[in-house]
Amino acid sequence: MSAVNALRNAPTTEPGLLRAGVLALLVHIAFIALMVFGLNWKAQEPEGMVVELWQDLSQPIQAQQVPEPPPPPPPPEQQPDPVKEPVKQEPAPEPIRVAPPPPKKPDIPLKQETQKPEPVKEIKPDPEDLKKKEQERIEAEKQAKEKAEAERIQREKEAQRKREQEAQAQREAQQAAARARVMSEVAKYKAMILAKIKSRIVMPPDLPGNPVTEFNVTLLPGGDILDVKLRRSSGYGVFDSAVERAIHLSRPLPLPPDPALFNEFRNLNVTVHYLE
Amino acid sequence: MNTVVTQDLSLLYLISSASLPVQLVMLILLLVSVLSWWFIFRKLFVIRDAMKQTDEFEDHFWRGADLNALHQRATSSRHSPGSMERIFAAGFGEFSKHPPGTDIQSVMESTRRAMQATYQREMDTLESHLSFLATVGSVSPYIGLLGTVWGIMNSFRSLSNVAQATIAHVAPGIAEALIATAMGLFAAIPAVIAYNRFASDTEKLSTRFESFMEELTNVLQRRIAE
Repeated sequence: MSAVNALRNAPTTEPGLLRAGVLALLVHIAFIALMVFGLNWKAQEPEGMVVELWQDLSQPIQAQQVPEPPPPPPPPEQQPDPVKEPVKQEPAPEPIRVAPPPPKKPDIPLKQETQKPEPVKEIKPDPEDLKKKEQERIEAEKQAKEKAEAERIQREKEAQRKREQEAQAQREAQQAAARARVMSEVAKYKAMILAKIKSRIVMPPDLPGNPVTEFNVTLLPGGDILDVKLRRSSGYGVFDSAVERAIHLSRPLPLPPDPALFNEFRNLNVTVHYLE
Repeated sequence: MNTVVTQDLSLLYLISSASLPVQLVMLILLLVSVLSWWFIFRKLFVIRDAMKQTDEFEDHFWRGADLNALHQRATSSRHSPGSMERIFAAGFGEFSKHPPGTDIQSVMESTRRAMQATYQREMDTLESHLSFLATVGSVSPYIGLLGTVWGIMNSFRSLSNVAQATIAHVAPGIAEALIATAMGLFAAIPAVIAYNRFASDTEKLSTRFESFMEELTNVLQRRIAE
C-alpha cells in the first residue's frame, strides 16, 4: 500500500524549470535586440544642410583672405606670400630660365656649318678649271652659309615659338587655376547665401509633395538686397511668401570680400525645395 | 525641415509615446509571450524525457527481464521512474496484492483499473499547460489587433484638427500601433507551432501507453493461467 502511495505521490518535479525560464527570457532578449538594431528605425532625414554649410564656412574664411590677391592680376603672383604658394611660384620663373638657352642654340648651326664645307674641300684638289671651281666653291660656300643662316634663323624662330607656346600654356593653366579658385569661391558663397536664407524660412506645415520655388534676387555690393522677384512659383502662396520673407530677413547676404567677384552675385537665382 | 518627417522612429520612442491602452496591451502581450515561451521550453524538456524513459523501459521489458525485479526497481526511492514504468508498477503492484486462487476475472479487472488510473494521471501531467499554449496561439493575435486598432483610431482622430492631412501625420501613430500586432503574432506563432508539435507527441505517447497496458494485461493473465 505504501509503495502505491509513494508512486501516486511520486513528485512530478520537472527537470528544467529554471532552464526553461532562462531560455524563454533569452528568446525575448534576442527578439527585442533584433527589433531595435535589425531594423532601421530612423526615417531618412534629408542632409542637415545648415550644419554642413557652417562647417564649410570655416575653410573659406581662411582660404579667402590669403589667396584673395592672386585672382585679379597674374603678375603679382611671383611675389606673393611665400607660405601659400610655393607650388605656383615655381612655374612663374621658368620662362626666365628658358630664356637663357637661346644663345647656346646657335652653336649647333655653327658646328653644322663647319661640317658641311668639308665635302667641298675634298673636291678642291682637282686641277682643272680651278677658277671655275673656285667660283663654284665660293658660291657653294655662300649658298651653304646662306642655308645655314636660314636654318639658324628658322631654328631660333621655332625655339621662340616653343617658348611662347610654353609660356602661354603656363599662363592658361594659371588662369584656369585662378578661375577654378574663383568659381569655388563663388560656389561657397552661393551655398552660404542659400543656407542663410534657408535658416530663416519658417516652413508652412503640411504641404503635399516637394514643391520648389525660385526667386531672382538682385544684390547691391555689400550684400544688401535691391529687389526680390518670384521667377517660378511653387503653386503654394504660403510657401512662396515664406521664402520671400526669409530672403528679406537674411540681409545682408554674405558676399566674398573681393569686389571683383561681385558680378557673379549681382543677379542671384535662389531655388528652395520644400523638403530639404 | 518638416518636423514630422525627420522624427526619430525608434522602437523605444514609439512604445513610450503610445497611448495607455496600447501600452497596456503591449505589456500583456509581453507577459503572455514570456510565459508561453517558458511553457514551451518546459514541455519540450518534459516530453523529451518522457520519450527517452519510455524507450528505455520498453527495451528493458521486452528483453524479458524479471517482472518482480522490474517492479522492485520502479518502486525504489533512488530511481525516478518514467510514465510507463509507473503504469507498470501500479498494475503489477495491484496484481501481486491478490492472493493466489482469486478469480482471474476480478484480478484482471482491478489490475486494469489501477493501470488506467495511473495512465490518466500521467497523461494529465504530460498534457498540462498545452491548453495555455493553444489559448495564446489563438487569442494573442486578437489582443495585438485590439491594440493596433486603438492606436490607429487615436492617430486618425488627431488628424481631424489638421487642415491638410499628410501621411506624415498618421505614420508614427500607425507604426506604434502596429508594434502591438507584431508582438501578438510573435507570441502566437511559436505557441501554435509548439502546441501542434506537443499534441502530436503526447498523442503518440498515449497510444504507446495504451498498447503497453493491453500487452501487460495479457502477460499477467498468462501468468495466472500457468
